[in-house]
Amino acid sequence: MEQGIITAIRVVPLEHYLVLSFLLFSIGVAGVVFRRNTIIILMCLELMFNSVNLLLTAFSAYHSDPRAQVFVFFIMLVAAAEVTVGLAILVMMKRNVDSVDVNQLNRLKG
Amino acid sequence: MSALVLISVLGVVLLYLGLFGNRGLLAPVGIVGLLAAFVFFAADWQLENALFAGLVQFDTYARSFSMVLIVVTVLLFLFGIDYYAKVRENVAEQYALMLFSLIGGLLITSFSNLIVLFLGIEILSIPLYILAGGKRDSFRSGEAAFKYFVQGSFASGFLLLGLALLYGSTASFDLPAIEAHAASIGTGTDMLFLLGLFFTIAGVAFKVAAVPFHFWSPDVYEGAPTLVTAFMSTVVKTAAFAAFYRFIGHMQLPEAVHTMLILMTVCTLFLGNIVALRQTQFKRLMAYSSIAHTGFLLLAFLGFDARTPDVLFYYLGTYALATVGLFIVLTLAKRAAKGDEHIHIFRGLFRSNPWLAIVTMLLLLSLAGIPLTAGFVAKYRVFVLSLANGYLLTTAFAVVMALVGIYYYVIVIREAFTPGERGLQLVVAPLNWLVISLCGIAVVALGVMPGLLRM
Repeated sequence: MEQGIITAIRVVPLEHYLVLSFLLFSIGVAGVVFRRNTIIILMCLELMFNSVNLLLTAFSAYHSDPRAQVFVFFIMLVAAAEVTVGLAILVMMKRNVDSVDVNQLNRLKG
Repeated sequence: MSALVLISVLGVVLLYLGLFGNRGLLAPVGIVGLLAAFVFFAADWQLENALFAGLVQFDTYARSFSMVLIVVTVLLFLFGIDYYAKVRENVAEQYALMLFSLIGGLLITSFSNLIVLFLGIEILSIPLYILAGGKRDSFRSGEAAFKYFVQGSFASGFLLLGLALLYGSTASFDLPAIEAHAASIGTGTDMLFLLGLFFTIAGVAFKVAAVPFHFWSPDVYEGAPTLVTAFMSTVVKTAAFAAFYRFIGHMQLPEAVHTMLILMTVCTLFLGNIVALRQTQFKRLMAYSSIAHTGFLLLAFLGFDARTPDVLFYYLGTYALATVGLFIVLTLAKRAAKGDEHIHIFRGLFRSNPWLAIVTMLLLLSLAGIPLTAGFVAKYRVFVLSLANGYLLTTAFAVVMALVGIYYYVIVIREAFTPGERGLQLVVAPLNWLVISLCGIAVVALGVMPGLLRM
C-alpha cells in the first residue's frame, strides 16, 4: 500500500512537483503583496505554507526518507496555530476600525 | 532539558496563578523559576547535552546564549512588576507568553536540526504576535500586531521554502549533514542548495531585522507596548542572531551567498544609521538603532573564525543590557509626558533626576560606542575581527557609519541635560531604579573589564 503511493508519486518527474510548488508559492506571495483584504491575505499565507508541504512530500518520496513527511505534520500544526492567532488579531482589528482592509492600517509612520 | 521543561511548566503555573487572581505573585514566581532555570544551565556547564534524539545540542555556545536570554528576561520581569501594576486584566497571559516565547529562543540557540530551527522560530514568534497586540483597545497596538503577524508569517513561508529546498538537495535536515554537503560542493554549483540557502537566510534575516527585511521593525517597535518592544529588541534579537550564526557559522558558504551577506551588511549599516538621523520618536529611533546594530553584528559574521561566537556573545549581551535600561527610562518619561514618545520628553531629566540622567547617558553612550563603555569594546572587537579577515573596505564603511550613529544618540543625551520649561515629574519605582542602575553600572564595568562577559 505504502509502496504503492510512493510509486504513484514517482510517476510524475520531480521537476514537475518543483514547478507546481513554486507556482503555488508565487501565487501565495503575490496574494499577500497585492491583495488588500486581510482574509485573502491569510488564505494566501496558507497557500505558501501548503505549497512547501507539497514540495516536502515530493522530495520525501524521491529520497525514500520519511523525515520530511513528519516535518509536514509539524508545518500543518504551526500553520493552524498561526491562523488562530491571525484570526484573533483580525477580529481585534475589525472591532477597532470596523473594516478588514489593510489600507486602514496607516497610523504608524515615520 | 530540565530547564526547558521548567520554563514551560512555569508558564502554565503563571496562567493558573492569574486564573485564581494572585496578581502579586506572578512576577516573583516567574523570576524565581527563571533563576532556577539559570542555575540548571550554569550547573551542568561543560557537558555536551543532546536532547530529543540529537535534534537539540546544548553545547557551550547554546548554554551561554541561553543564560543571557534568561537573565534579560528576568530584568524585564522585574520591570514588569511596575509596568503592569495598573493593568487590571490579562497580566498573567503576558508573562506566560513571554516565557513561551523564551522557550522558542532557547530552542533556536541550540538547534542542530532544521526542523527545530523552524519550530523554534515559530514558538518564538507566535506569542510575540499576540504580545504586540497586548493593548486590546489601542489602535496602534493592533496595527503593530497585524503588521508583525503578516510579515512574520510571510518570512516564515520563505524560511520553510528554503528548508524544503535544502532538504531536497541534501536529503537530510541535520545541520552536520548539510555542512558536509556544503563542503562537498566546493566551487561547483548546486542550484537547489543555493536557492535553499538564500531563502533560509532571508527567513532568519527577517527576525534580526536586516535590510531589506526590516520593514516590520519600526512600525512594530512603535506600536507594541514598551515592555514587549524591549523584549523584542533584546531577547528575540539575541536568540535570532545566535540561531543565525549557528546555521551558517560552520558552513562553507558558496560565493554568491557570501556576496549577499556582504551586501546585506552594507545596506543594513547604511539604512539603519542614516534613517535614524531623522527620527524624533524615541521608539522609532531605537528601532533604527537596532537595525544599525544588526549591521555591526552581521559584520562580525563575515569573518567566520574561532573568535566570532565570543564577539557576538559580548556584543549581544551588552547591547541587551543597554537597551533594557533605556526602555525603562522611556516608560518613566512617557508616563510623565502622558503618553508622548517624542525625544523632547527627556528634557529636564538631569534637573529632576541627576542619577537617572547620568545612567541614561551611559547607556546611550554605550550604544553609540564611546570608549570606557561596553559598546565601544563590542564594536572594537567586531572591527578587529573583520579587519583580520580582510574586509578592509566594509570595515572602513562600518567605522564611518558608527561615527554617524553617535549623532542621534547624542541628541537624546542633549535633551536629557537641557533644563525644561517646567520640571519633569518622574515617579521612579525602587525596582525600576534598581534595574536601570544595574544596567548602567554593568555597561561601564563590562567596558572596563571586558573579560567578565565571555562564553
